[in-house]
Amino acid sequence: MLKATLRSFLAHKGRLLLSALAVVLSVAFVTGSLIFSDTVSRTFDRLFASTAADVTVSPKEELDEAVPSGRTATLPAALATRVRQVDGVAAARADVKVNGLTVVNEDNEPVGPTTGAPTIGNAWNPNERSPVRLDSGHAPRGPGQALLDAETAGRKDVRVGDTLTVIAPPGSFRVRVVGIVTFRTTNPGSALLYFDPPTAQAKLLGRPGTATGISVDAARGVSDDQLKRRVAGALGSHTYDFRTAGEQAESDVEQLGGFLDVIKYVMLGFAGVAVLVGVFLIVNTFSMLIAQRTRELGLLRALGAERRQVQASVLTEALLLGLIGSTLGLAAGIALAAGLIGLMGLLGMNIDAGEMAIGWVTPVAAYVVGLGVTFVAAYLPARRAAGVSPMAALSDAEVAGVGRPLRMRAVAGAVVGAAGAAALAGCAVSQQTSSAASLLGLGVALTLIATVIAGPLLVRPVIRVLGAAFPALFGSIGRMSQRNALRNPRRTGATAAALMVGIALVGGMSVASESMTASFDRQIDKTLGADFVVQNSNFQTFPQEVTDKVRRTDGVGLVVRGRFTPVAVRLPDGDRVETTAAGYGPRLDEVANITYTQGDSAAALASGHLAMDRDFARDHDVRVGSTLPVEFPGGRSARLTVGALTDQDAAEGFGTQGGLFFGLGTLERYAPGGQDSALYVNAAAGTSDDALRAALEKTLDPYPQVQVRDMADYKRLVHDQIAVLLYLVYALLGLAIIIAVLGVVNTLALSVVERTREIGLLRAIGLARRQLRRMIRLESVVIAVFGAVLGLALGLVWGVCMHQVLALQGMTALAIPWLTIVLVVVGSAVVGVVAALLPALRASRMNVLAAIAHE
Amino acid sequence: MSTPAAEHAPGLAPADGIAARARGLTKAYGAGETAVLALDSVDVDVVRGRFTAVMGPSGSGKSTLMHCLAGLDTVSAGQVWLGDTEITGLRERELTRLRRDRIGFMFQSFNLIPTLNALENITLPMDIAGRKPDTTWLDQVIDTLGLRDRLGHRPSQLSGGQQQRVACARALASRPELIFADEPTGNLDSRAGLEVLGFLREAVDQLGQTVVMVTHDPGAAAHSDLVLFLGDGRIVDEMRRPTAEAVLERMKRFDVIRTRPGDSGAPASPEEN
Repeated sequence: MLKATLRSFLAHKGRLLLSALAVVLSVAFVTGSLIFSDTVSRTFDRLFASTAADVTVSPKEELDEAVPSGRTATLPAALATRVRQVDGVAAARADVKVNGLTVVNEDNEPVGPTTGAPTIGNAWNPNERSPVRLDSGHAPRGPGQALLDAETAGRKDVRVGDTLTVIAPPGSFRVRVVGIVTFRTTNPGSALLYFDPPTAQAKLLGRPGTATGISVDAARGVSDDQLKRRVAGALGSHTYDFRTAGEQAESDVEQLGGFLDVIKYVMLGFAGVAVLVGVFLIVNTFSMLIAQRTRELGLLRALGAERRQVQASVLTEALLLGLIGSTLGLAAGIALAAGLIGLMGLLGMNIDAGEMAIGWVTPVAAYVVGLGVTFVAAYLPARRAAGVSPMAALSDAEVAGVGRPLRMRAVAGAVVGAAGAAALAGCAVSQQTSSAASLLGLGVALTLIATVIAGPLLVRPVIRVLGAAFPALFGSIGRMSQRNALRNPRRTGATAAALMVGIALVGGMSVASESMTASFDRQIDKTLGADFVVQNSNFQTFPQEVTDKVRRTDGVGLVVRGRFTPVAVRLPDGDRVETTAAGYGPRLDEVANITYTQGDSAAALASGHLAMDRDFARDHDVRVGSTLPVEFPGGRSARLTVGALTDQDAAEGFGTQGGLFFGLGTLERYAPGGQDSALYVNAAAGTSDDALRAALEKTLDPYPQVQVRDMADYKRLVHDQIAVLLYLVYALLGLAIIIAVLGVVNTLALSVVERTREIGLLRAIGLARRQLRRMIRLESVVIAVFGAVLGLALGLVWGVCMHQVLALQGMTALAIPWLTIVLVVVGSAVVGVVAALLPALRASRMNVLAAIAHE
Repeated sequence: MSTPAAEHAPGLAPADGIAARARGLTKAYGAGETAVLALDSVDVDVVRGRFTAVMGPSGSGKSTLMHCLAGLDTVSAGQVWLGDTEITGLRERELTRLRRDRIGFMFQSFNLIPTLNALENITLPMDIAGRKPDTTWLDQVIDTLGLRDRLGHRPSQLSGGQQQRVACARALASRPELIFADEPTGNLDSRAGLEVLGFLREAVDQLGQTVVMVTHDPGAAAHSDLVLFLGDGRIVDEMRRPTAEAVLERMKRFDVIRTRPGDSGAPASPEEN
């Protein structure tokens, strides 16, 4: 029996190859993401472990920043002197480390990375834990001298002796590069500058005698934990944060981890799509193989093979496939990880691909995924194979599965579909975000399953309509291709399902993102009253001097400043909510149209007052006049009175729930040291917008990180940010399509083989090769478009329901991306044409005589 | 060995020309010493307006002859004409067009496209060519074959005999110069087979068509005007106005030759298929 299994496996290797590809793709994404994240985290574990001081003292921070405030927490540099006197301390250094600098060259071009990685300014305190060493030039001495890391210098062609302008929070200053440093280990992608400690304190922090942390080295024989206890004891454990080298490295990795997690989850998302679509492909392949071999299996049964043996034989084939697919997938995963590491290198994060970390989890995951997927996918077809009766060997068997009624499917599809529809309907009427979201998830899963089950039932009605024009357009060739697609609804349905899944996903996501875009547009139209907004494109802050220069620009009438700060509010219902609050300058009404349900801007911005969203207030029992304890960064706190309630769309962003804002004065009083995030600018009377824009752009020329935007530009900025999400979805779609194309190729190839005699006959009575190819192409197109139409229908329903969830978050506009829908349909036709290339070629190359004589 | 089938047979309308002709037609499979001759320099003329049957034991080359005359297979040597057109040397595309427009086909089984109904199958060659069928002629063919009430049926809804009648109608529908029928009754019971043979006869007598039929059934061959006997890739005999008994007798002599190779002077050539 095993020999028969192996023979049959080898005999069908061409067809199994396509299924193997699906396994390879899913396994590759799973292992690739594992290897990549293992490698990266090992690299950074090492980096942080080797650069962290034995104990680090840093300012106490209880609030995380969701939106940058521009504030750098500091402690007195003199603390280092006190620490040095603690028993067991060998050395202590006052560090300065400021993120978010902008450095430009003489042409005002940014020198640092523009990919989102920070430019970091440091005090030059060389020691054995420094991440860099001085390669050329000399250490910085006095203001006006700096070191630059070699990678940044190489990228932007900066040499020793060049002059750079550093735009730091306290203001810009010019420095001469006096030396180049190289990383001892891995550069996480950022640009590094070093200044002598007094310069760093004065120019980066703005206050001599301050530091961002104290690095403490232990004396011989003192452990990190002991040292931490002693230092904390000497300084008072509640005053500062104390971390051992291990804890510091962990916290550094955690900070970087957010970014790495994103990559990991994206990759796993790809793996998930590959697995999902791959399952369809494998189920279909095995079903077809078994259909093809019905007589052979019947013969085996007639010769005395038990059902169990037949089933085991098919499953053995599947496991062989899974084994080969997993092994190849593992290899492909290593290549994928190497590619990703290379890509990170382009973004400035240099990881040695030679140090690739392959933990034991990776191969285990590869084989679990690969074997699991094939086993699960082949199980049903194997059961069906076992059900083949010995009589099948004797009868002149038509392809199995054609004639069997679809009643079971109709019932199952209807039941699951009804449950899914109910869940989606529940989501649509739900008023609670959390329950709506879980109903949405349930509804999406159930309707997807229902459509997959019922797909074959939809083949006839939908393809009749889709291909209705074929006979008129392409004559009998069109008629035959349409009917060929209808011939085996089960197969057509399963083939199209793979495409459907991907397209449904994209359909839903594009409706959601289009609706989000429309909602933001509406909100911007409604609320933004300023002629121009001056801000960074990534929500980073900018120094005071930018604000000052904008104010002094000719033609500027009014400038209203906007800042952010993290806060924690204790609410009357007992909740403590950590969120972000905005601070706005006076005359806010002239640059923004805020809808108040109670109070007004004057009440909201008054000293000691704040405003919040009406719904948030209602949920937490807050009323106008309520006094709330508010915690600010740096341990400050205040009691603020609610002066106004607003009714804003999209009040709930990431980390910004509640729509809290107050006057700029209030913010500066309790959260000093921040920077402006946005300036809302109105033209002075008599100045045209164009003239003001030109003037502002000239003013901002030395600050490449800051841009001027009018309402249209501002919308574009928001659109671009939503688009990033969409690009990801498109990439997922691309992968799903690749696998779906494999499935269509598979199905068509089998159909061509099955119809060999028919094709021979057609060729004999005068069908040209070109016409034969067109016939197969049209069949392929109709299958692909069928999948796309089903997917879009499903995706639209999902999208509308997703919009309901978004609407609960204030994003009420519903927009259907018609252009995308048309493009998807056209694109699916192209997919059909591509998938038909090989099968059509094969059919047209068939020898007519051999085809006619084909059994 | 020339087979002038053009002479007037008593009782038949005078033949008005040659529908297909082959000269020195040779078909070899393989090359060198292992080459197998399926057709060994055959000369043949198919007379227009006649019903010609090709007989011979299996492996005699009768199907190969038909395939070569119909432009389905390439020849190793020799020339083949369809009417005035020399088809040896035509390119694939021209051959396809020739088959579509000038030749009708009937095969033993699997003659029809299962997704098309009877009428669509009948007009398929013209549909492929993008031509409108001649409706008067089409009606005449459909009525002659008695398919009027079956036109909307799919092949799976038709009996074997009905399917062959549809195939016959398709072969006739485009009024081809020549109809090739490869064992058209091979898969039918005797009644349905007789019916189909009757229609082919009628196509020649009443519709003026030219039919070449490959068969191994003496009874079927008896419906033709002329039987050509093939043995070992050569035309070894012919019989005008055949009867089933005469054909059967002639066929028996092949077995004698077979059992005593060398008797007939023909080299014993291996089977070609």
